[in-house]
Amino acid sequence: MNNPDLATSATRKRKLRDSALLLPLFGVFLLVSPFITIFTGPVTVFGLPLIFVYIFGVWLGLVILARAMARRLDKG
Amino acid sequence: MLSLNALITASLGYAILLFAIAFWAERRAQAGQISWLRTPFVYTLSISVYSTGWTFYGAVGSAARNGFEFVTIYLGPTLIFIGWWWLLRKLLRVGRAQRITSIADLISSRYGKSTSLAVLVTLLAVIGSTPYIALQLQSITLSFTVFETGGNADLTAFWVAAGLAAFTILFGTRNVDANERHHGVVTAIAVEAIVKLLALVSVGVFVVWGLGGGPAEIFAKAPPEMLSGSNIFSARWVSLTMLSAMAILTLPRMFQVIVVENSDEKHLATASWAFPGYLLLMSLFVLPIAIMGNALLPEGSNPDLYVLTLPLSQGQNNLALFAFLGGFSSATSMVIIAAIALSTMVSNHIIMPLWLRSASSKTQTSGDVRTILLRSRRFSIAGILLLGYLYFRLTGGSGALASIGLIAFAGSAQIIPSLLGGLFWRGATRNGALMGLLAGFTLWAYTLFLPSFEGSFILSKSLIANGPFGLEFLKPEALFGLKGYDPLVHSLFWSMTFNIILFILGSLFSTPRPLERIQSSQFVDVFRLDKSTGSYLVSRSATSEDLFTLAQRILGTNPAQRLFSELAKQQGKDQGLPDATDKVVQTLERELAGSVGAASAHAMVSQIAGGGTVSVDELMKIADETAQILEYSQKLENQSHRLERTAQELRAANAQLTEMGAQKDAFLSQVSHELRTPMTSIRSFSEILRDTDGLDLPDAKRFLGIIQEESERLTRLLDEILDLSHLESGRGQMPLEPVVLQDAIEKSLSATGALIEEAGVRVEKTLPEAPVMVQANFDRLAQVFINLISNAVKYGRGKTPELKIGLTVSGGVALVSMADNGPGISPADRKRVFEKFTRLSEANLAGSAGLGLPISREIMRNLDGDLTLKSSRRGAVFHVTVPLSTPSDLG
Repeated sequence: MNNPDLATSATRKRKLRDSALLLPLFGVFLLVSPFITIFTGPVTVFGLPLIFVYIFGVWLGLVILARAMARRLDKG
Repeated sequence: MLSLNALITASLGYAILLFAIAFWAERRAQAGQISWLRTPFVYTLSISVYSTGWTFYGAVGSAARNGFEFVTIYLGPTLIFIGWWWLLRKLLRVGRAQRITSIADLISSRYGKSTSLAVLVTLLAVIGSTPYIALQLQSITLSFTVFETGGNADLTAFWVAAGLAAFTILFGTRNVDANERHHGVVTAIAVEAIVKLLALVSVGVFVVWGLGGGPAEIFAKAPPEMLSGSNIFSARWVSLTMLSAMAILTLPRMFQVIVVENSDEKHLATASWAFPGYLLLMSLFVLPIAIMGNALLPEGSNPDLYVLTLPLSQGQNNLALFAFLGGFSSATSMVIIAAIALSTMVSNHIIMPLWLRSASSKTQTSGDVRTILLRSRRFSIAGILLLGYLYFRLTGGSGALASIGLIAFAGSAQIIPSLLGGLFWRGATRNGALMGLLAGFTLWAYTLFLPSFEGSFILSKSLIANGPFGLEFLKPEALFGLKGYDPLVHSLFWSMTFNIILFILGSLFSTPRPLERIQSSQFVDVFRLDKSTGSYLVSRSATSEDLFTLAQRILGTNPAQRLFSELAKQQGKDQGLPDATDKVVQTLERELAGSVGAASAHAMVSQIAGGGTVSVDELMKIADETAQILEYSQKLENQSHRLERTAQELRAANAQLTEMGAQKDAFLSQVSHELRTPMTSIRSFSEILRDTDGLDLPDAKRFLGIIQEESERLTRLLDEILDLSHLESGRGQMPLEPVVLQDAIEKSLSATGALIEEAGVRVEKTLPEAPVMVQANFDRLAQVFINLISNAVKYGRGKTPELKIGLTVSGGVALVSMADNGPGISPADRKRVFEKFTRLSEANLAGSAGLGLPISREIMRNLDGDLTLKSSRRGAVFHVTVPLSTPSDLG
């Protein structure tokens, strides 16, 4: 690890792998934990129920994050 | 209304299109133009076989009944796929490394290629999948009835099943290698995936913007309890999410498309986000369709068919037809893949082992195994579809689509503990897996599967209501008194609990067989293992001819020839068969495993290779592993010992060097000091001579005398230093000659005679009469004696000074001792005596710079002798040893 570039890139790769492990846990927290019940109130966003927006919004967010991560993991 | 004829024409046309696509893809693949067939998107689309007819129709039904609950079926797989780095990646790597052909093969292979496990998982997969296949037939016939109420549902289902069997047999059993991709099938499935997505999205767009007037309008129509979220994060919510996450890994058809049909591990990276995205799109319009269906369609309509009936009720015949084809696609693609996966399992794990056993002695002479394998696979496909059709006929297509699907999910989820344990826990054993699986499946069947028949199959109505023999606590849907839970949650809880506990306990209390141990490390450490290390099947009795015959029969003549000539080439043979080495046997077994599964391949190869048990060599290898670890740690320990020793030596060397450096410094300062003293007197006297006018001649002469004396002393000192460095560097080669020792002693005594007389020293000689001849240099020897005598005279003065000189001969060495009766040398000084410029006391005589003893010692060492100081009670005793001259020296 004399080369600082090598060291940082190795650290970056490790961090990337660790965050890849974190993503599904994050998804579980948002969708399969009591956290989700915060959004079940009778509130609407632009006429859509909040829970509908929440579930599909989180879902889309997870897809986008997974895509960004998959591209980097694939390169690494 | 669409006429039934138009519907049949459309579905037949669509079926023909699928056949054509599959056929075309297969042709392209054979021509080698398959690069576009292997894109990550085709892979992703093939995974969407997860969305079946159940999803296509049933999700809307589920949403109409239970609101948001339907999304859990998609959230589980989404979480598994975005977490691909955890699990799917390893599953894929293991599947490819071990040439796994099915989920049953994976479990069997992991637990020591166990046939019993393979049979168990296969049977359970068939039991779990049959209702599921029936469900697909049901969804197709249901969709037919929407258009034509007078149609014969049974007949429709039969022709659909027959058509699917034909397609699957045609494109699913082209190759004997089940591990090879089915390009035709996968391409057709990918096309179907696009069709079903487009169909559902089209219906959704029509419903939201064509019918409902925008999303906000639609949600305003929803009954509040549908969107209330009361079922969100309920026990059922969590269970269903977990269940679907487990099902995507263990459903036979999902394993088939994700692991077996995968052509490149990198495709998984794309599928990790693209597949969740696909599921998101598939479920986006489910809720609006359900809301509109509830609002617009008459009371009592089947919510499972809203996707069809909603456009039909609005006169959108073409859209309805498209939706119908979407549902048809969902159902058929599931059935096709499930049939391929199950037929592989049935033929590899049930038919082949039975055939092997029945014809075990005939393996080497009987006919072509290939034909048998293909035939058994084709019969299995037909049998599985027949089973699904019979199930459909017997249950009469009752029950909501969703609940049948969930029962199948819960059944296949029982494989999860053995699967995850097998991938991550080295200590998981075959017995643990068998016990866990049996317990899990038994409880699943008892608490969920059998009660779903509502008393028409095995469990009677009264038993379900009151428990067996009226035992309340054994009631299938309230086991051990656990009441008030959803039947699915209840069943999942008990089956998984016993499954996991027995799996772990069974593993802890059993000892794995050697093959299990090997396989466990092959699975758990799949990322750490070198590719070259394979399973250690070691067999000595195999002949390469037998192995070749076996390969030919299963792989076909040409592939077998290719394989064996490559193996021969690797062994450095240009022609002929390779030697039946361990590696050849291993490679062959792995190749065969791709066709018949690990357990059967192992059984076949072992049959030929003899015994099939673990050989002594194999055991040795396992023992070696342990020994290697021990050896390694011992080596480490030794190394650290050695390092420590080296460090110690280095420290000692360093100390010595430091000391030597200090000595050198001391030597230099001594030398300059010694040179300075005569120089100072020379300089001062010459200054006096120069500067003093009218100096008396006698004074001047005296001064000049001093100057001369000091110069002589200086010269002598320099001579001594030169002499010493000469001697020390070993360059001063002295000519050797035979010397009479007594002569040398006499000579030195006479040379120092004046000194002795002046000091009044009494000399006592005890020398032998006979001359003692030594090999030495006369002058140098005399120099040593003179030095010793003058030292004794200078320092060794007792009251009546004495000097005893003795000479003895022993063992080829002459020893001269010189002892005085002076104060002697204190023990602390003894070592320093031979150091340069050491003066032991203040009594110093001009002319000695303290180099005498070091020089003498160097001389003696150069003469192969030595000069040592002996400890004695009084006086100093020096010993000089010289080797005697041998007769040859004299000559």
